[in-house]
Amino acid sequence: MSERVILSIGTKKGLFVAEAPKTRKSFALRGPFGSGVAVYSALIDTRGKPRLYASSCNAFFGMKVLRSTDLGKTFKETKSAPAFPKEDGRALANIWSLEAGSGRKDLWCGVEPASLFRSGDGGDSWEMVPGISNHEHARKWQPGNGGLCMHTILRDGDRVHLGISTGGHYLSEDGGATFTASNRGIGAGFAPDPYPEFGQCVHKIAGHKDAPGRLYMQNHGGWADWDGPGGPRPDIGVLRSDDHGRTWRSIAKGLPSDFGFPIVVHPHDADTVYVLPLEPATRTCPGGAPAVWRSEDGGDSWRRVAKGLPKKQSFFTVQRDAMVIDELKSPALYFGTTTGQLWIGRDGGEEWDCLFDSLPPIHCVKVAVV
Amino acid sequence: MTVTIRVPGPLRDYCEGASELAMSAPTVRAALEQLERRHPSLYRSVCDETGAVRRHVNLFVNTTHVRDREGLETALAPGDVLTILPAISGG
Repeated sequence: MSERVILSIGTKKGLFVAEAPKTRKSFALRGPFGSGVAVYSALIDTRGKPRLYASSCNAFFGMKVLRSTDLGKTFKETKSAPAFPKEDGRALANIWSLEAGSGRKDLWCGVEPASLFRSGDGGDSWEMVPGISNHEHARKWQPGNGGLCMHTILRDGDRVHLGISTGGHYLSEDGGATFTASNRGIGAGFAPDPYPEFGQCVHKIAGHKDAPGRLYMQNHGGWADWDGPGGPRPDIGVLRSDDHGRTWRSIAKGLPSDFGFPIVVHPHDADTVYVLPLEPATRTCPGGAPAVWRSEDGGDSWRRVAKGLPKKQSFFTVQRDAMVIDELKSPALYFGTTTGQLWIGRDGGEEWDCLFDSLPPIHCVKVAVV
Repeated sequence: MTVTIRVPGPLRDYCEGASELAMSAPTVRAALEQLERRHPSLYRSVCDETGAVRRHVNLFVNTTHVRDREGLETALAPGDVLTILPAISGG
């Protein structure tokens, strides 16, 4: 069978799967799976025979993990979902991230309230990772508007980067046994101390497999006009690290807003990075004209790429996990909106086209070539 | 002391399709503890990790909500029916 592009689309009303040949001219849609239930995280695990995973945030009966072994034609619940030990006192409120681990069936899962779980059997059983879940800071983290979520898990050998809103960036250099708050240079707009040790509202972190020391971050920006204690904090929203996340510096100059949720790196060029700026107050597209902004020099300069996107009267939000890029030679970007549109930006975002315009509100989008 | 637990449709996959389960339990809490042992996935859909009944799930003993009696300590008598009733709501 020739290679196919698979999209996994988590929405407020279940999971959809879209499939296309490598030309990506048109996608066939199937679903919803787990209908009626919000899906905030998904994973297309391409190690060996592909498996699709998705969290299912059932407001009535609790969290479930869905798994498909037939490229998203059918899904079944795994035998269990992550759960805190009974004596812990916390209860799982949502599943925000699913990532592949090192072993064939090793999975990592970030949840709300912010904690980390691992599975060694493809999601049938889970164990809490105490090094971060019981970190001395864990009971001091505060929920953001979306909840106290662990939304980013980036692995690079024994290094593990976690993004927590609002907790900040945590780094492990021993495979996840222990973690340290690593937020030097990451600002916070909602605390008297503009650069606290931890507690930043990190929105998303992205890396590149060929440049593991390089990381990009979309932080909670929009504090340029703050006139409270500590003074204004311009440009704290878009950041870069070149030392494995130990220190961070702003790369927000040139963007129309340093607020946003997703941040995405080009699969073949660690210097090319994409953000989708939003108005900080409304979390919608500036001026009602949505645009992706692309830097090809690691954030030193930015260019608006919006050909084909609406020019006016579009006030949607793109959530933290709702923008991705595929790994084909000329990669396409994809983003899903809170108004249920799924957009494709062919040729690295040069030309945009709406694939589906009436899905439920979209929480996350994942892509893989299988 | 045999009581009946009535299982709503969306949760029957977690107990081999059964709509009713018979068990011997002196209180609602004891019934839930048995449920945890016999059908852990069903139990986890009714209660969270802390043992609290989920916010949108209601438990009735016969026709009375347990919150209007003694909560999870509500006593069960032979022949009682403990109904799990989710408040399917939302938008």
